[in-house]
Amino acid sequence: MARVATPTAFDAIDPARRLRNLALTLAAIGVGVLVLWGLESVGSAKLTQALALFAVWGVATVSLNLINGTLGILSLGHHGFMLIGGYTTGLLILDEAARQRILTSARSTMTEQTLGISVANLLQSVGLDGLTTPETLWARYLIAIFLGGLLAAVAGLVVGIPSLRLRGDYLAIVTFGFGEIIRLTASTRLFSAYTNGALGFPGVTSEFGKSVWWTFGVLAFTVFVISKLKYSSYGRAMQAIREDEIAAQAMGVNVAYHKVLGFVISAFFAGVAGGLWVSWLGGVRLDFFLFQLTFFFLVAISAGGTGSITGVLLGTALVVFVRQYGDPLEESYAIRTWLYLAAGVLALAAAGAFAFRSLRRLRPRLHWGTLVLAGTAALAALVAAIDPAFLEGSFRGFGMRAIFLSVLLIVIMVFRPEGMIGRAEFSWAALLREQRTGPTDEERAQDAWLSNPKLNAGGAGPRDDAGPPDDAGPARDEGGR
Amino acid sequence: MAMLEVEHLRKSFGGLTATNDVSFRVNEGEIVSIIGPNGAGKSTIFNLVTGVYRPDGGDVRFQGASIVGKSTNQIVGLGIARTFQNLRLFTQMTVLENVLVGQHHQLRSTWLSSVLRTPGYRRQERAMREAATEKLAFFGPRLQSFRLNQPVYVLSYANRRRTEMARAMATGAKLLLLDEPSAGMNPKETAEITQIIRRMRDEGGYTILLVEHKMNLVGEISDRVIVLDYGQKIAEGSYHDVVHDPLVIEAYLGKKATVDRAEDGEVDGASDPADGGIARPTVGEGVGDA
Repeated sequence: MARVATPTAFDAIDPARRLRNLALTLAAIGVGVLVLWGLESVGSAKLTQALALFAVWGVATVSLNLINGTLGILSLGHHGFMLIGGYTTGLLILDEAARQRILTSARSTMTEQTLGISVANLLQSVGLDGLTTPETLWARYLIAIFLGGLLAAVAGLVVGIPSLRLRGDYLAIVTFGFGEIIRLTASTRLFSAYTNGALGFPGVTSEFGKSVWWTFGVLAFTVFVISKLKYSSYGRAMQAIREDEIAAQAMGVNVAYHKVLGFVISAFFAGVAGGLWVSWLGGVRLDFFLFQLTFFFLVAISAGGTGSITGVLLGTALVVFVRQYGDPLEESYAIRTWLYLAAGVLALAAAGAFAFRSLRRLRPRLHWGTLVLAGTAALAALVAAIDPAFLEGSFRGFGMRAIFLSVLLIVIMVFRPEGMIGRAEFSWAALLREQRTGPTDEERAQDAWLSNPKLNAGGAGPRDDAGPPDDAGPARDEGGR
Repeated sequence: MAMLEVEHLRKSFGGLTATNDVSFRVNEGEIVSIIGPNGAGKSTIFNLVTGVYRPDGGDVRFQGASIVGKSTNQIVGLGIARTFQNLRLFTQMTVLENVLVGQHHQLRSTWLSSVLRTPGYRRQERAMREAATEKLAFFGPRLQSFRLNQPVYVLSYANRRRTEMARAMATGAKLLLLDEPSAGMNPKETAEITQIIRRMRDEGGYTILLVEHKMNLVGEISDRVIVLDYGQKIAEGSYHDVVHDPLVIEAYLGKKATVDRAEDGEVDGASDPADGGIARPTVGEGVGDA
């Protein structure tokens, strides 16, 4: 048991190891910056856009994961928080020309007064004229996304409070409803002076949302805060709430405070993500913040691994890839091509199933799903035989990307319900195989010895689990033990 | 000095009275056991003391101050922690993390300084980890070393019980409520946990109130035993006195039926021995009248 001399519990805060991990992290960041720089300068505009979108959505998914993964509450209202951050940032950062265009537009419901709200005017009123020049737009943008995040955090506080009374599906419905309420309220007359109703407004600068440096910078900051939070005492308390709320409370965790705290922090970063999102899109519109957005995030979280920041980022990469590079899925193809494709998928699935079953030494079996697919193919062949013109047409699969993602989610949920990497998290210790995951043979032997009743059974009575009626009887003499 | 005073505690769920006018006290440094048949209200008492349920009447005082109406986590902060009969560990978290959660309420840093890992937070985190390993060391080498970083779901049932006790100890509580600490343990492990509970009192300075069904454990370590039946306290005293109490025997084994024969005549005074032991008072009265 000499290994006990360096208890593994203190590995995480062992100074030498921490320094080494910090050096490795900095080196990794350096390599990441170089790779990003290379991709940006060599790659196409489309690639830069996809990378930026990954980072923008990454901010959203990592923050949503704080509620869904760490706190264990299914929240479906993330698009609502993003909308608040997005509209706030959009309005605050709108440039002068765009403001004039909206003002002169006949369909606009915004007023001169509401269009006067901007970070530039705000700074001017406090005498910071130096920050209102075009060169200092970045500072104004930073202030804008920060304010957007703050407003979203206030909304997070409001949604967080019902979470104290409700749980599970009921709470999920409330968060979903809240997200929709935010979106619909934004289009009402009450707010249309600020939001321009359902029309929204164009003219938000894309300088930041489409820059990999800005988006990845914000993503790095988000990952830093959320992961440090997750691995702090507060994060442990939140995970304890996820595991067992009653036990967490019974161990002194203030469940109400930690739930609301989680909601507020998550909503703040959702607001920031909203600010980046409108900049990526170059404008603000109501249908940029549909529930679909939250759905994509949920797919990313579930596919990657609920609760794991690493997994969530992997899942986000997958979703963004399908979204940005899935155009071939939605193009128009001849019916003939579709049929060949279907036959190919069918053959592949059958071959895969056969391989799987023989690998596991299971008897080959005809699945009903195969029969349905084969029947459909036969039907198509029949139709083609009767009417050859059927094969000449073409078909365009609108929404195939969403279908593809949904099918992907189903497949992942069936074969790997915990997501691609489960709850595991990236760490240098794990990568360098420093973590001890099991006992040594010596420890195993000691463990067996400790819990074997036949060995060293001194002091124990021969009976096990004697019930009270047997024991409480007066006949049993106390000294008999 | 009385650490915990429970006075005339009442709680009913609909028509069922789970706790009916129960009073007892636990002095500092004592090990007190609550026993009773299933459904006697033992766990309800625990839930009332820890603030999970609000009593319908009566008072619970901890170190002289009433704790009725305080929330569960506030009560933990005052110094009462518990374990659960059906184990409520954070199964996806490691052994060490489980014990650390017990200490979270003592943390004096805000969430922001935790994120920024300020020196103050680091110092507290280190102290928490040291305290956690110290509490786990109560249970010998089996929860040390590689076990610290193992998720709870891989642990044996007995080790889970031990982890839960360590977690309760780590809250900094002075009074521990242990709900069946030896449930699911084999005889050797039961004997060991008996010694550990004693050491928790002697070395750790904890006062212990426990619910237990294994009478050899109760008899060996209890300073006092409280017996509950149908929500009422029916006996209190040393283990020896309590197990010989006729009321306790009745609660566990049932009352002797009145059909019993003459030798039990003094118990069922109303029945007439001449009548085959069957209580038919009219016969006796009739004879008297005639």
